[in-house]
Amino acid sequence: MEQLLAALFQLFEPTHLAFLFAGTLLGLIVGILPGMGGTSGLALVLPFVFTMEPSHALAMMIGVLAPTTTSDTFPAVLMGVPGTAGSQATVMDGFPLSKKGMAARALSAAFSASLLGGIFGAFILSISIYYAIPIIMAFGFGEQFLLVVLALLMVGALTGDNLFKGIASCFLGLIIGSIGTAPITGDPRYTFNTLYLLEGVPLVVVGLGLFAIPEIVGLLDAKGSIAKSLNTKKGWFTGLKDVVKNWFLVLRCSTLGCLVGALPGLGGTVVDWIAYSHLKQTTKDTSQFGKGDIRGVIAPESANNAKEGGALIPTLIFGIPGSGNKVLLLGGFVLIGIEPGLDMVTTNLDLTYLMIWSLAIANILGAGICMGFSSQISKFTLVPYYILAPVMVCLIFFATFNINRDWYDFIGLLSFGILGITFKNFGWSRPALLIGFFLSSKVELLSYQTQAVYGLSFLSRPVSIILIILCLATIVLLTKQKFDNNYRSDLIKGKLTQIYYIVILLCLPLSMIWFTSSLDYRANLFPISLSVIALSLLVFILIIKIADLKNLPFLNNTLMKFARSNIFEISGNFNNQLFYYLSFIGFLLMNFIFGFPIAAALFINMFILFHNRKAYVSSICISAVLMLILWSLSSLLTLQFPNGLIGLLIDLPWWLGGQMN
Amino acid sequence: MSLFSFVSIGNADVNFAGKTVTWVVPFKEGGGTSRFARFIQPFLKKYLPGNPDVQIMHIPGGGAIKGSNYFEKNAKADGTFIFGCSTSVIVNVATGNPLVKYNLSEYRPVVLLPQNTHWFTRSDLAEPHDLSKIKERKLVLYALKTPASADLFHIWIYEKLGIKGAKPIPGLSSSGGYQAFLRGEIHLSSHGAANYVKKVKPEIEKGKVVDLMTLGIIGADGSVSRNPLAPNAPTFPEMYEKVNGKKLEGDDLEAYYAIGAAWSQASKAMMLPADASDEIVKAYRDAAIKMTNDPEFKAKAVKALGPFPLIIGEEAGEIIKKAAVFSDTTKNQLNAALKKHKFTYRVQ
Repeated sequence: MEQLLAALFQLFEPTHLAFLFAGTLLGLIVGILPGMGGTSGLALVLPFVFTMEPSHALAMMIGVLAPTTTSDTFPAVLMGVPGTAGSQATVMDGFPLSKKGMAARALSAAFSASLLGGIFGAFILSISIYYAIPIIMAFGFGEQFLLVVLALLMVGALTGDNLFKGIASCFLGLIIGSIGTAPITGDPRYTFNTLYLLEGVPLVVVGLGLFAIPEIVGLLDAKGSIAKSLNTKKGWFTGLKDVVKNWFLVLRCSTLGCLVGALPGLGGTVVDWIAYSHLKQTTKDTSQFGKGDIRGVIAPESANNAKEGGALIPTLIFGIPGSGNKVLLLGGFVLIGIEPGLDMVTTNLDLTYLMIWSLAIANILGAGICMGFSSQISKFTLVPYYILAPVMVCLIFFATFNINRDWYDFIGLLSFGILGITFKNFGWSRPALLIGFFLSSKVELLSYQTQAVYGLSFLSRPVSIILIILCLATIVLLTKQKFDNNYRSDLIKGKLTQIYYIVILLCLPLSMIWFTSSLDYRANLFPISLSVIALSLLVFILIIKIADLKNLPFLNNTLMKFARSNIFEISGNFNNQLFYYLSFIGFLLMNFIFGFPIAAALFINMFILFHNRKAYVSSICISAVLMLILWSLSSLLTLQFPNGLIGLLIDLPWWLGGQMN
Repeated sequence: MSLFSFVSIGNADVNFAGKTVTWVVPFKEGGGTSRFARFIQPFLKKYLPGNPDVQIMHIPGGGAIKGSNYFEKNAKADGTFIFGCSTSVIVNVATGNPLVKYNLSEYRPVVLLPQNTHWFTRSDLAEPHDLSKIKERKLVLYALKTPASADLFHIWIYEKLGIKGAKPIPGLSSSGGYQAFLRGEIHLSSHGAANYVKKVKPEIEKGKVVDLMTLGIIGADGSVSRNPLAPNAPTFPEMYEKVNGKKLEGDDLEAYYAIGAAWSQASKAMMLPADASDEIVKAYRDAAIKMTNDPEFKAKAVKALGPFPLIIGEEAGEIIKKAAVFSDTTKNQLNAALKKHKFTYRVQ
């Protein structure tokens, strides 16, 4: 109790509040930009937070995470595009409300439901922390191993459009995560004798590549469905009244969100749908759903913000991410030297409470700003994407370089970028890949540790049995809800590309087996087993795909229908997205030649002018403002710009990409 | 004021006024070496002639090799570059990692910060300071991060104490290992001084955990004294004598000194490049000595750095040489221990 209050006082120190506030603002902006969510936002700030004091960094990171699911309602309601994966269900009724001229009512209901959900989540989190010690002590290696494996299975099964593609994504992530030094023997695996891969691919590179880049090209491709008119003036009070009237719904959905969030690995992508279907099942009159029922906004919004608190429970006490963006948060913990586990509820309890308070206050701040400045903020949705995109690409490059000041990170970024673009387009699961990647070393180590301490007897321990039952029940329950929709194979074009794509994916496990087969069995057992499983999954998917293409009759029984659903998937124009992706490679080359500052200014101007020749005033202003921000950031945090070939030949000042010092 | 003017005359050639000193730390922010550097940073600015700005540059990666190689390649000898060293940086050299390109044994150390290791077990497994029950057990599990890290020394220590059932559980950090120890999954555990005080002492007071021994504090003359944090616990040489019935000497003593230097005496260090001039080294050492006399430093050092006094001067150079260059007999001893536990990794 004492620490709870001490943490509150610490948070209210001006510097802490300032970092929390800065984080919250950033989180709000990230949430508004369609597609960008907490994962991309956190990946962007991670390279910078670790120069800060741990408590400041924590306040900032929580600040970024907390309000994204609040502000993502703006695009969901105004444009009918989910701002993050967590507000897909909000679109169902939010957008129709907005079309009826009730945008303000929908927004205010969403913000207040979101606020209540967020606070509820923080409250549950602080209670669970209180009881965490016996739980941690009850979870030995065996239970932790099961928890991780089951988490991976759930993520794979539930975040993909197709069960098998989701699980395969998970295994591909695990394989990529096993690149680097083998933990048991110290043998380098799949490193091609480079120092870069010895510690594996940096998490931030994977996060930015998988999440930020595909969203940027996706929205460039969609050309941003810009809201035409913004009627957000009237109806604020009605929205508030709606929430008060439906207080029990808010409470139920918050509880639901918290529970689903606390299931390791889940969250983000499913929780809003679960809340929405709960609402449908418990309501008598469902006639207005999908046409603008305010309850359809309240339910998912309270759930998707409550999940943040719930998702922090497994994150803090086991180091197992409660949702995709918690992977990045855990990455941030590592950077600032915090190890999840027992310490979080004993010696580092003050930091834990600091996070809980930050979460609560960031929620209040976020919802407050959203309500108070809604008409200003909603104008963000009017900014054309061809202006935002190059700025975001520059920020991503700047962040990437400052992870390790290593040019190889750009290659990593762009490789994971194209992986993310194809995953998104062809209906594979990016969260599953990310979580698999992150948990890979944990799975490997826990399997050895469990084997050394228990052998196979861990499976018969009571907690293990409960875990297995819980996991299977969740998967069965949730897959039924998720895969009921009808898959129309005949609507999809370019199926051959997706079949070739599998062949490319097959190269990863095959080459992993090839390169690690000569190592000691304790170094290659894990990657080779993963690769064999991944190979069988991929081949199975390939067979189903070919069968679907040829429309073979054996696909028509119930079980096969399930395997077939969403086996092909296409969103947007893939070639178009590839074109934008190539322009990023062009930007990398410009960086290599001119150094970052000149390349960034050139890129922004070229990109904007390519889309709109008359916008030169804004393009010049935007590039100037961005560079001013980056310059002040650099001198504040002693960061460095990538210096190109020119910087090697001529002695440039640091702000043009020369050496600092 | 008079002291200052004296110094600037004494080091007429060395003046860092208007310059920036870059302190390369081959680890992430927030780690022990980074905290050590950040604690010293303001005092260095205060006492170096000319009061230069001191900026810390973190270059993590490759198990500290990336940053260390960077320093070797880019550091200027004029005193504007210093290096934050730690046990793992030393172990990389001592164990002959082929990726190492830094010539650590020739570096000019300014300050060493010693550490000490405490071993302990659960009270139901042994009496305090007594290994006999542990030695009878068929299986004695303990945490081992990787055999390529300083944890390698645990294998040697348990081997020399004749704990036949000792079996390492790989991939456990010291904090993860301690959690598993508290859950009753592993039998032996160890911690450095800071965590010993913070986490282990309370459990000892509750009667759940008992002290076994400490590594011991090695003096300049090679004598070993007990650790003031656990004054009743025997040191490793004492335990060795009790278990084996003979004094720690010969090859075993040599290996102990090498391990002690790397693990304990040079746990953290601040160094100048190999080709830094004597004047520059002297200016830094003078600044370090003044720092240790600073009342603010005295007030905060024990909490921030631990209870062991800093080692400054020529002695530090000897320790680094001992820690970074293992003799063939020491290497053979370590490799024999590794082989016995079926590790493929070998000290080169």
